[in-house]
Amino acid sequence: MFSLHKTRGGVHPPQCKDMRDFACMSITPPERVLIPLNMHIGAPASPVVGEGDHVYVGTLIGQVNGLGSPVHASISGTVVKVATEQLPTGATAPVVEIVSDGKMEADPALKPPTYSNKEEFIACVRDSGMVGLGGASFPTWFKMRAPEGKSFEFLVVNAMECEPYITSDYRQMMEHAERVIDGVFRTIEALEIPSAVIGVEDNKPEAILELKRVVKEKGREERIEVMEIPTKYPAGGEKVLIKATTGRDVPAGGLPIDAGCLVVNVTTISRVEQYFRYGTPLTCKTVTVTGDCVANPGNYRIPLGMSVRDVIEATGGMVKEPRKIIMGGPMMGRTITDIDCPILKANNAIVALHDAAVLPDETACIRCGRCVRACPLALEPFALDAASRGHDVVALDELAVMNCMECGSCAYVCPAHRRITASIREGKAVYRGEVARLTAPSEKKEA
Amino acid sequence: MNLINEASPHFHGKGSTQWIMGMVCLSLLPTLVASVFLYGLGAPLLVLVCVATALVTEHVCCRLMNRESTAGDLSCVVTAMLFAFTLPADCGYFPAILGTVFAIAVVKMLFGGIGCNFANPAVAARVFIMIALPIALGAYPDVMGTPLDAITGATPLAMNAAGDAPYSYVDMMFGLHAGALGETCIITLLAGYVFLLAMRVVDAWATVPFIATVALITGFAGQDAIYQVLSGGLALGAFYMATDYTTTPMTPKGKIVFGIGCGVITALVRLFAAAPEGVAFSILFMNMFTPLIDRYTRPQPAGGVKHALV
Repeated sequence: MFSLHKTRGGVHPPQCKDMRDFACMSITPPERVLIPLNMHIGAPASPVVGEGDHVYVGTLIGQVNGLGSPVHASISGTVVKVATEQLPTGATAPVVEIVSDGKMEADPALKPPTYSNKEEFIACVRDSGMVGLGGASFPTWFKMRAPEGKSFEFLVVNAMECEPYITSDYRQMMEHAERVIDGVFRTIEALEIPSAVIGVEDNKPEAILELKRVVKEKGREERIEVMEIPTKYPAGGEKVLIKATTGRDVPAGGLPIDAGCLVVNVTTISRVEQYFRYGTPLTCKTVTVTGDCVANPGNYRIPLGMSVRDVIEATGGMVKEPRKIIMGGPMMGRTITDIDCPILKANNAIVALHDAAVLPDETACIRCGRCVRACPLALEPFALDAASRGHDVVALDELAVMNCMECGSCAYVCPAHRRITASIREGKAVYRGEVARLTAPSEKKEA
Repeated sequence: MNLINEASPHFHGKGSTQWIMGMVCLSLLPTLVASVFLYGLGAPLLVLVCVATALVTEHVCCRLMNRESTAGDLSCVVTAMLFAFTLPADCGYFPAILGTVFAIAVVKMLFGGIGCNFANPAVAARVFIMIALPIALGAYPDVMGTPLDAITGATPLAMNAAGDAPYSYVDMMFGLHAGALGETCIITLLAGYVFLLAMRVVDAWATVPFIATVALITGFAGQDAIYQVLSGGLALGAFYMATDYTTTPMTPKGKIVFGIGCGVITALVRLFAAAPEGVAFSILFMNMFTPLIDRYTRPQPAGGVKHALV
């Protein structure tokens, strides 16, 4: 059905996936959780509970608004705060704080949903609170809606997990392979997609064998293919994975649908299936807790809204004082400066580093071309870096700055250790501002 | 807890500018050793003088420009070694020092330092000395003489221009003839270049077209193509100067254009110009075209470009 296509560029950072054989463990639930209602791309959810209300695990606390996702309580207990306030991350968002009753009781009203057509299926996915769990946090239901005149030819399941350290998707495949395959089949059936391909990096041979075994056992070979893809960062980038599995390029400024693809993370698919089976919405995340500071690294099932501090305490604390804590992998993850940050839907790793935390100083670009060779999207990072630092919007336009997915490959290979990715990110903001400035007056005229 | 706040990526590869430049210096050592056997102890001494001059010049320039010194990144050592390699072993310290100061202070630092120079400093300095002090480069010591009392001889290209080719290919490979101290021993230059290829410091996108073009054009013009390839500064130029990062194009396509351009100019100079050697001129000339070549050989971004500004 599918054949492997060659992809451009890429790098080979150390994998550090030592936690791969650590089965996902539960931890002592926290005494309180702080749940932001904007854990997704789009509009924040609006709170539907008040202070003093009792909630169960899975009780709806934030209702979806347009492009967005509903939010559910992750522990049972009492709502003590509903407010809009500054989070430890620095952003301001509506939040719901819940104090635990220590029971972790599931909401008795939860039951498996039923659907009879595509629209109802998508509505169910929306109600599950599911967002892209690979890190993008884009509402899953929203991307399942193919716009008028376009249709999905392929479901591409992203099981690459190409970031160093992270093994939560790997554990999902090893522990819930059967649920993954059922979820994939349910999705292509409901959305009338002809076939699905599950892309897995070849550094996870056990997961590939397991998925292939289940596909065969369930007799789904006609519709679902498990594809082994050479390990290379960022092979799990959406555009790169589409290229590897279908040979297509997503047009600049376009979405996967423009290449006929629906791309969904493997854990997302598995959790969607869980929702359809048991009616349990997204209230907890498997997170790889690791780094040289963590006493007991491993994969833990963590209620949303639990603070990083509580997570680290519950897993046995630190052996060294961290200099840097990264939410997500080291290539694309964000650092936090406040350890009270809550765990969000898209978080899949906490990496606490001491030794490897300090990066070498930046020196001048020597035009060696390593960044150009490493760029998976055939951009010229060194030139984008210069244009970004100089706020040269015309050059940024010529060099296709908005195509950049900020994978970090260019900065990784740079012998001058230039913060190319960071500067391009800034360049994008400058460019967006310029485009907005140029388009705003003409729109007014039209109006 | 004081946590670092920094943008991703949080992993950087192990390479550094210093490592790259160190590898290039290392790859030049066999040729330096060969120069002792070919032209005596004066040869490495001349290289040492150039290296010391380059380090001091770069350090002083950085201080004058209120910058942190970049002498430690070793790129000025590469420049100094390459420049020294193009000199006759007995040219004296004055042209060596003058050329090195010109390379570092004028060609490199005045244009902004490492990564900003428009031309290869070693090549530019060589051409500068050729024009400013033609006598210094007028005669090359021959290997036939004893190291300390070298006899001056004509270079193979000069002889070729005069109509005779007295050296065998083997002599040419081992540098057993008059010439610049680091240009003649093809075998050690090749070994160093292969080492750099293996370490993935350089590639062959410009080198191969450069040499092939020279061989093709001179061959068609009725010359001995192999003799042409083995003589003059072609090996040094094609291996080390046409592979310079800053002053040559970025993409394989651009590098091929650059290599062919160098080859054509070298061959034309050798065949038709009054000067016997054209490698330095060709590289300097093509350096000027690098921004233009880069502009027209830009990779096509995956998925195309959506221009929002016109």
